[in-house]
Amino acid sequence: MKLMPRKKKADSPYFAVTPRGKKYTILDPFSEELKINGHKEEIKIFEDDDGFTYLEYKKKKYLAEIIEKNQNKYTVLLNGVSYSFTIESPISYSRRKFLEKYKEVSKSENITAPMPGKIIELLVEENITVKEGEAILILEAMKMQNEITTHVGGKVKKIHVRPGDTVTKDQVMMEIER
Amino acid sequence: MKITSILIANRGEIAVRINETAKKMGIKTYGIKTSKEPNALYLRLVDDVIDFSESAEEIPEFLDIERIIEAAKTFKIDSIHPGYGFLAENPYFARRCQEEKIIFIGPSDTAIYKMGNKTIAKQIAMKNKIPLLQGSQGNVKNVREAADIAGKIGYPVILKAAAGGGGRGMRIIEKATEVEKMFKMATTEAEKAFNDASVFIEKYVRNPRHIEFQIIADTQGNFVHLGERECSIQRKHQKLIEESPSAALNEALRAEMGEAAVTIAKAVGYYSAGTVEFLLDDDKNYFFMEMNTRIQVEHPVTEMVSGVDLIELQIRIAQGEKLPFRQQDVKLNGWAIECRINAEDVQAGFSPNLGIIEKISFPKGKNIRVDSGVCDYAVVTPYFDSMLAKLIIHAETRDKAIQASIAALKKCLIKGIKTTIPFCLQVMNNKKFRKADFNTSFIEKELDNLYYREPEDEMLAAYVAAFDFAAQLETDRITFVDFERGKNISPWVLNKRLKSL
Repeated sequence: MKLMPRKKKADSPYFAVTPRGKKYTILDPFSEELKINGHKEEIKIFEDDDGFTYLEYKKKKYLAEIIEKNQNKYTVLLNGVSYSFTIESPISYSRRKFLEKYKEVSKSENITAPMPGKIIELLVEENITVKEGEAILILEAMKMQNEITTHVGGKVKKIHVRPGDTVTKDQVMMEIER
Repeated sequence: MKITSILIANRGEIAVRINETAKKMGIKTYGIKTSKEPNALYLRLVDDVIDFSESAEEIPEFLDIERIIEAAKTFKIDSIHPGYGFLAENPYFARRCQEEKIIFIGPSDTAIYKMGNKTIAKQIAMKNKIPLLQGSQGNVKNVREAADIAGKIGYPVILKAAAGGGGRGMRIIEKATEVEKMFKMATTEAEKAFNDASVFIEKYVRNPRHIEFQIIADTQGNFVHLGERECSIQRKHQKLIEESPSAALNEALRAEMGEAAVTIAKAVGYYSAGTVEFLLDDDKNYFFMEMNTRIQVEHPVTEMVSGVDLIELQIRIAQGEKLPFRQQDVKLNGWAIECRINAEDVQAGFSPNLGIIEKISFPKGKNIRVDSGVCDYAVVTPYFDSMLAKLIIHAETRDKAIQASIAALKKCLIKGIKTTIPFCLQVMNNKKFRKADFNTSFIEKELDNLYYREPEDEMLAAYVAAFDFAAQLETDRITFVDFERGKNISPWVLNKRLKSL
């Protein structure tokens, strides 16, 4: 097992913010101590010979993997469960807060295909109201019919697909107005 | 006739599994290469590969009866093992093999046909006095007929769309006053969904357990059952965790249900491996559901407790050998649990998680068995089902098997794709599951969270993200080079220079 190269001390604290707004404050990520939300504990990140990355914390090993990274947006898989964060420095965090206050919240949300497949059935119609988590259509992929649910509640503004259509990953299938 | 070669008409872990036993028996194996999965693991393990990838037919490769038969004839292969799914329960395929003098490793085409037809299968069960869920013989015409039948068999009953599936056109009726309303709802729903309003009635079993018996029979009329498997942990009729034996059965019930399973198999002149499925209600009444005329995904749990290689027996029976043991020789030892490792995102409603498996590694050990169809860099495609592997644990007791499953699940390392491992861990850690107090509604009713996580996990993930982000910033900073001078330049200076250009 080889240790990942330790870099010198990072300067300022970082914030990891979850989609629900929970904030973790991480001080000095390169030190051998985890300093997060007031916790202080020894921590190690290392890679084994097979290429798996682990965290070692409180004498336990955790399999970790960054599965998505887009600028400061991260999705981390820890023991097979994924967690999403936006990483901010104190300055960018306060700027984001400031902007959010003035930014008009986008009223329309796109529902995109999570995987390529074929539309089997639409479960909603335009102009009806849906709740968050409600099934909106059935998409067939991998021999299975998958219920696609909406991550936002609101009015179905536009449906871009019809039964029988094939969709590619991330294709916009519906627009929902909050 | 002794089998000297097998064409494996399947893919994934079951192709790997069949190949392993065939080779152990000194039989030459052939695999089918498809354009959808040209680098699959099973192709590296078989003795010879038949390439179906060059010309694309409209029928999917593993369903193309004539092409598979043609391949067997061209390569002079004397038998075909269909695995599960695809052509495994297609009576016409079994018949075509017979016509072409190719040994079909499975039951006769008539047995497949009779058990595949739900109406015939139920008639056979009824004739042999096997308990069945009572219901209407055929479709129900109107509300009055529905009320009559429901009154006879007793509430609750369920109305099901004749053309149905997927839970639509289904309505549970709790009492007589609800018949009219529910009948109307079920028929309109059926009409809308399937363009066919016909519905039938069946006795409704609340929260049943799914118990199935493994049957093995030879062509000389010897029938043996190898005990039961419990497959109650399922989501939308997809089994996710199976075990053998079942904590719901005692010796007497096991013997009785095993006898019933054998009776059904005998009634259709069955040979090879097969599975008889029952529902078991709270009062330990069992009802025949169907017989699966093939090897099943969950067959390893039976192999672990019985010490029998079911694929080997299938091959031996197919070449006319007699069963090497009788019912009284069957001794079931300990407890086995199987966890299915599927490429599915449990956090997104078990949706398929496609992509490339960058790395995969499984634990090894005396009582650990892994039946896997994938290796490093395997591609999870949308063309086939999402099961990657099965983790099977054998221990002395159920408690020990659960404990060992937890330890082994934590040692299944997979990079690049999300799997059902966190789900399996959550079930193994559930109190009711541990007490064997569960049924087919377990996932809906008992699991408030579908995946296992510990309180500090999110915080640790946050640390990983922050660490990477900080490292990225650091890298950007030290690689920011002023090419004029060949050394670092501050962004402020650079900005000033750009402006003055």
